[in-house]
Order: sequence, then C-alpha cells, then structure tokens
Amino acid sequence: MELTKDITLGVYIPRKTTVHQADPRSKILLTILLITLLFFIKTYTAYGVYALFALFLVWISQIPLGYAVKGLKPMIPVLIIMWIFQLFLQKPDHAQVIFSLGFLEATDVGLRMGTLMSIRVLLLFLITTILTMATSMVELTDGIEALLKLFRKIGVPSHELAMTMVIALRFVPTLAEEMEKIVKAQMARGVDFDRGNFIQKTAKVFPIFLPLFLNAFKRAEDLIIAMEARNYTGGGGRTKMRQLRMGPADTKAFAAVLLFTLILVAVIRLFPPPIQI
Amino acid sequence: MSAGKQLNVQVQGKGARNVNLSIRKIVMSGILGAVSILLGVTGLGFIPVPTPAGHATIMHVPAILGGVLEGPIVGMLSGAIFGIFSFLRATSPMFTDPLIAIFPRLFIGVTAYYAYVATKRINPILAYVLAGAVGTATNTILVLGMASIRGFFPASVALSIGVLHGVPEVIVAAILVVVLGKGLERVRGAQGDVIETDDDL
Repeated sequence: MELTKDITLGVYIPRKTTVHQADPRSKILLTILLITLLFFIKTYTAYGVYALFALFLVWISQIPLGYAVKGLKPMIPVLIIMWIFQLFLQKPDHAQVIFSLGFLEATDVGLRMGTLMSIRVLLLFLITTILTMATSMVELTDGIEALLKLFRKIGVPSHELAMTMVIALRFVPTLAEEMEKIVKAQMARGVDFDRGNFIQKTAKVFPIFLPLFLNAFKRAEDLIIAMEARNYTGGGGRTKMRQLRMGPADTKAFAAVLLFTLILVAVIRLFPPPIQI
Repeated sequence: MSAGKQLNVQVQGKGARNVNLSIRKIVMSGILGAVSILLGVTGLGFIPVPTPAGHATIMHVPAILGGVLEGPIVGMLSGAIFGIFSFLRATSPMFTDPLIAIFPRLFIGVTAYYAYVATKRINPILAYVLAGAVGTATNTILVLGMASIRGFFPASVALSIGVLHGVPEVIVAAILVVVLGKGLERVRGAQGDVIETDDDL
C-alpha cells in the first residue's frame, strides 16, 4: 500500500500558450463567467455553440483531450444512473409519454432534462479541467488572494484565507507520509484492510484516523508556535515575490470570452427551447 | 488558554477595517483542510456501502471536528477547502457544479459547532454524537437539496438517496466524531477548552 506515490494534487500541464500565460485573476474571473453562462442555456443549439468554444479553448491551450477526459471516467456510471432517473421520474402535467417499461413511463420532458443535464456536467467538467490544467496551484492561490483583496474593505481577510489554502496544500504530502506509516504499522500488527463486510471495514478506519488526527493537531500546534515566534502578522504591508501583471494574453482572453458571450446570447435569443421544462 | 489566543493577528491594510483571523484559526483550518484533501486523494475517505453510488463519505469529518474543537470559523474554513477541492477534482457529476460542491460545505462545521455547544452542558458524549450527526446531515441535506434545485435529480430521488446514503454516513460520522473528539480532548486537555475562550464570534 503505497499512498504517497499516488498523490497528484495539481494536474497542471506546463505549456507556453495564451491560456497558460494569462493572469490567474483573469482566468478565474473568466471561468466564473463561463460557468455562469452555462446555467442559462436550455437548448441543444446553444450547448453546441458552447461546446465548440470549449473545444477551441482545449485546442489553443494544447491540453491533451484524452488526458482531460480521463478524469471523467469515474463519473460516467453515476451520470447514466442520473440520466435514467430524469428520464422516468420527471412527470410534469404537460409531459408526454414516449414509451413505458412496465410501470415506468419515460417522458419527453424527462428525456430533455436528463440529456441537457448530462451535457451541462460534461461542459462544466471540461471548463474546470482547462482552468486547472493550464494554471498551477500556486498561481490559482495567488489569483484567489488577489481577487479576494477587492473585498478586503468589507472585512474579508484575503491574505489569511490564501494562507489557509497554502497551508492545506503544503501539508497534504506530509500528512500522507504519516498516514502511510500508520497504515503500515497497523498492517504489521495484522490488520487486513481489504477484507470484511461494510461494518468490519468501517471499524478498521478507526486505528488509522485517531493517530492521523492526533498527528495533524500536533503539527498544527507546532506550526502555530513557529509562526508566532517569527511574528507572523498577516497580510498588512506584505510584499510578494511574484507580482501578478496583466498582459496582452489577458486582453486576448477577455476579448475572446466577450465575443463568445455575445454570440451565445444571440443564439439563446434566436432559438428558444421547443418544449417547456 | 492556548498561546494562539493571546496573540491575535490584527491586520490593518490601507483604509481597511480590522480583519481578525488569528494564527491559530489559519493554521487549524489549513491542516484540517489538508486532512480532508488527503482522505479524498487516497480514497480512505470513502467507506464502501451497499448503495447505488457505492460509498459513503467521511471527508467532511475534519470540518465537523474543526467546528467542535476550534469554533465555527475554523469549521467554515476547513469546509471551504474541502468544497473547493471537491469542485476542482470532481469525481461525481454533481460536484462539477460549484453551487453544489462549495456552498453547502461552508455550513458543516458551523451547524456542528452549534449542536455541540447547545448540548455540551447536558452530556459531553451526547454532544459529540449530535455534532457528528448534525454536521453530516447538513452536508447531505444541503448537497442533495442544491442538486435537486439545480436539476440534477427530481426531488423524490434526492429524498431517497438522502435516506439511503445519509443514514450510514450519519452513523459512521457520529461514532468517528465521538472517538476522535474524546481522543483529541485528552491530548489537548492541558490547553483547556478552546471553545469557551473563543470570544470573537
């Protein structure tokens, strides 16, 4: 049981494309905009336009599509179950039955809602994957901090929140190493983690969790003392080694997304959904 | 009283209001968030249960413990890290939607904290059980509620998944929180009860 080997936190793929070079702030903002746009789409035509744009993003960011889609695999069975649920269980009054299996009746509304939901999930996944594959975790955290800074005036502790995220990311490998030691120590004592029914398997979690949490809290106490000893005082007056700067890549990114938004709004207006859902 | 309490960090940016988040809260939320992420990436946070989705999660337990042991702010922040992570590395279709992945998770530690504080005087063990159960129920109900609002399931399906999944999750989390809470309490005993000195919320 090698735990530390499998841990890949970021899925960042370094390249020198416009998408990679854009400022993390603009990437996060534009991703939020693109995700929000998805929520207003209710027709296949508009989804088609959106998918074209998403694929365009994949192409210019040089992300291997196969690699991006790999993360989708564990979702597929659940997605199919959810589609079947929608198909048979959406029964508003105006729905028309397409076919029936015994007591189950598939409706046109259910079919439409299920399919639209599935396409939305796939596109949401693709957009988020483009963001995480073209932006390193460090950049993402910097971007989140810089964006939160806008809310500092109303009392949002932007630097402290970013520091919390940095600590979390920093300690995952450390804690993983510790957890591996604990698991091996318990296995040496004869605990068989793979055998047993649901209750027996659950019971085996406890001898891992208690030492893991104890260690985590101990590390936290040590870090608190270390930070206090170095007089950590939060974000006020702090300077950064990496400065975020907007450049030509950001202009291109904003222009592209703006143009796409206009086209999408036009498509949504011109092609209203055929049936009410 | 812990050392972290005596040295509250006062942040004063230009024209900014005083923002108060102590070193203790930053570090505790960060490390508990790290435990959540760890449980997610190693698969130890999923307990195989014979239900359609295949597993019950215990990734939210660090957020509950954060709320119970360190107060609602730590509970909320460690929940936020758990949420952001489950959004960025979504393994279930629902969590590709940030409104489902992040928003409900903010409240896990908060409701757990209030459940714990409300019942602590009656019976400390019962308070841990309730905190675990309430925190887990918050997660399950809000996630499935949001999922049905956002059109992932019809409401009837969300309800049955909630019962099927929620019940084993509540039981496992309640037991875990008692065991871990009691164990941690003994180790942290010398530091006194952090929650009682938590006067800034």
